[in-house]
Amino acid sequence: MFNGFSKSVMGASHEKTGLVCQDSSAFKVGDGYAIAVVADGHGSKKHFRSHLGSQFAVEAVIEAIDRFYEEREELEKSLPTNAKLIIKNIEKQVISNWNIKVEKHIAENPVTAEEKSKFTAEEFEAIPQESYYGSTLVAAVAGSNYTFGLQIGDGSLVAIFEDGKAVMPMEYNESAPANVTASMCNSNAATMFSSFYVPNKRLIAMFGSTDGLYTSFGSEFDFLDYHSIITSQLVNLESFKKVIINNLTKRSRYGTEDDISLSCVYDEELLNEKLPVLNAQVENNKKRAAERKAALLKKQVELE
Amino acid sequence: MSNENMNEQAVAENTTAASLDDFEPAETTAAPEAAADNMLDFDDDPLSATGVSRKSLVIFFLIDTSGSMKGKKMGELNTVMEELIPEIRRVGEADTEVKVAVLTFSTEVRWMYSTPIPIEDFEWARLRASGVTSMGAAFKELNQRMSRNSFLNSPSLSFAPVIFLMTDGYPSDDYKEGLKELQNNSWYKFGLKAALGIGQEANDNILAEFTGSKDTVVHAYSGGQLAQMIKIIAVTSSQIGSKSMTLSDDTSHELGEEDVFAAKQKLLGQQIQELVTSQTDENDVPFDTGW
Repeated sequence: MFNGFSKSVMGASHEKTGLVCQDSSAFKVGDGYAIAVVADGHGSKKHFRSHLGSQFAVEAVIEAIDRFYEEREELEKSLPTNAKLIIKNIEKQVISNWNIKVEKHIAENPVTAEEKSKFTAEEFEAIPQESYYGSTLVAAVAGSNYTFGLQIGDGSLVAIFEDGKAVMPMEYNESAPANVTASMCNSNAATMFSSFYVPNKRLIAMFGSTDGLYTSFGSEFDFLDYHSIITSQLVNLESFKKVIINNLTKRSRYGTEDDISLSCVYDEELLNEKLPVLNAQVENNKKRAAERKAALLKKQVELE
Repeated sequence: MSNENMNEQAVAENTTAASLDDFEPAETTAAPEAAADNMLDFDDDPLSATGVSRKSLVIFFLIDTSGSMKGKKMGELNTVMEELIPEIRRVGEADTEVKVAVLTFSTEVRWMYSTPIPIEDFEWARLRASGVTSMGAAFKELNQRMSRNSFLNSPSLSFAPVIFLMTDGYPSDDYKEGLKELQNNSWYKFGLKAALGIGQEANDNILAEFTGSKDTVVHAYSGGQLAQMIKIIAVTSSQIGSKSMTLSDDTSHELGEEDVFAAKQKLLGQQIQELVTSQTDENDVPFDTGW
């Protein structure tokens, strides 16, 4: 049985500038599958409705994946041979769902005079409507013996398979143009996704996070170790949630002051079975971190 | 320490599998500073094993350790750098994580440590001088390491680095070739650059080629001046380097990287020149006489 959690905390910098939290997150446990999803609204001037855009992105991806799982047997039969195509179709569906939500919202809530007042008439004209809602998206899907994920824009996806090691399985889309942050609001958004598919591997836990989390770490090792620690504590999720929320809040305040979202799904049975492996991994990570620090402080110049 | 009241409502919200309507309001970090700090500071957090990283600033020192630096110059430089570290540490106490990387160049180029070291952990290793002045090789090495795939690979956000060159002589290799490679490096382009010529032999024109402006080149002719100049440049550049000039509210225009770079580099030149001219002339012995 899958379980999960999700949380978005508001960044201190948004506090200062009077912005609302631009992130959204959710998880969903379905019949034989689970989804963890986070989205990060761009938050800058021309993306003035991106807190809604990130919420629409989260809704859009869950609706799209749910729809594919309506025919779960068929889907799971096709995935091993057609994963790329299926994931591409999910991505197209996500973009379509998101655009429908954006159009509906604009129709029901036309741009206000106050929203327009921050631009000159020419500036405002130049902004495509969907840009008001610009957002990233990271979605992780866990099935019975396989996992897949998709992502547009910044953010991270970490998986812990049965060997207990934290890895980042996303295969990044190198064809996306350099210097352009991929976004749900791009006209060619459907071509800008990165994705991955891992068959025949049991998953203990999988996490999606917005870049506020990643950028609160000094090294990628620490970032991965963080996910190992959380996974080792998921057996006591109810009491541990408080610790996670506090830690995310602390990271947002003392890190880069950005909003932070973390969403997770995990397999309860496998987690219990692999707890000794996970605990050993956490201890091993601590040792390695100490070794890295010692190596860092070795001088290598000719001394006086 | 107790956090029993912290976020109970938020915790309750997520106790069942979420559905689409589970978009709970985001937690805010707006709680009053002191009280919030207490709530966040608890002993039993296993997640505290992985520290929180602030926005970082790497200060690169490029130091000439060729034979001509032997004696008073190297001795003074070692002493000043030892004294300087605690001063830079204070710059890093605010919102910035300051790291230091030291590249020495003589016949060979060598980094003092294999990677930039957080200022709290940094210990100056007293350097020895010998050999020739491979400045071009140092520029090439800096270019290779000043990359997201190498020294600047921390996930946390970075300010553009500070790059501080100190030398007492003319390069013995083709410095122009190295400088050309370095000039294509974005970290170099947007970094704050300053240089210090030590003694009569150092060529201020070459140093200005490196920094891109004469305002950010200074000269020290004595031990006392060397100490003053190193401190002025290192402290001023790290203060300016760690200033957030990209922040803007949603009504003002947002500064681009190039605007921020230009503003910071100009400010550095102005402040260095102001501080340098305000220094009193000490009666210490010039490097190039009497030794």
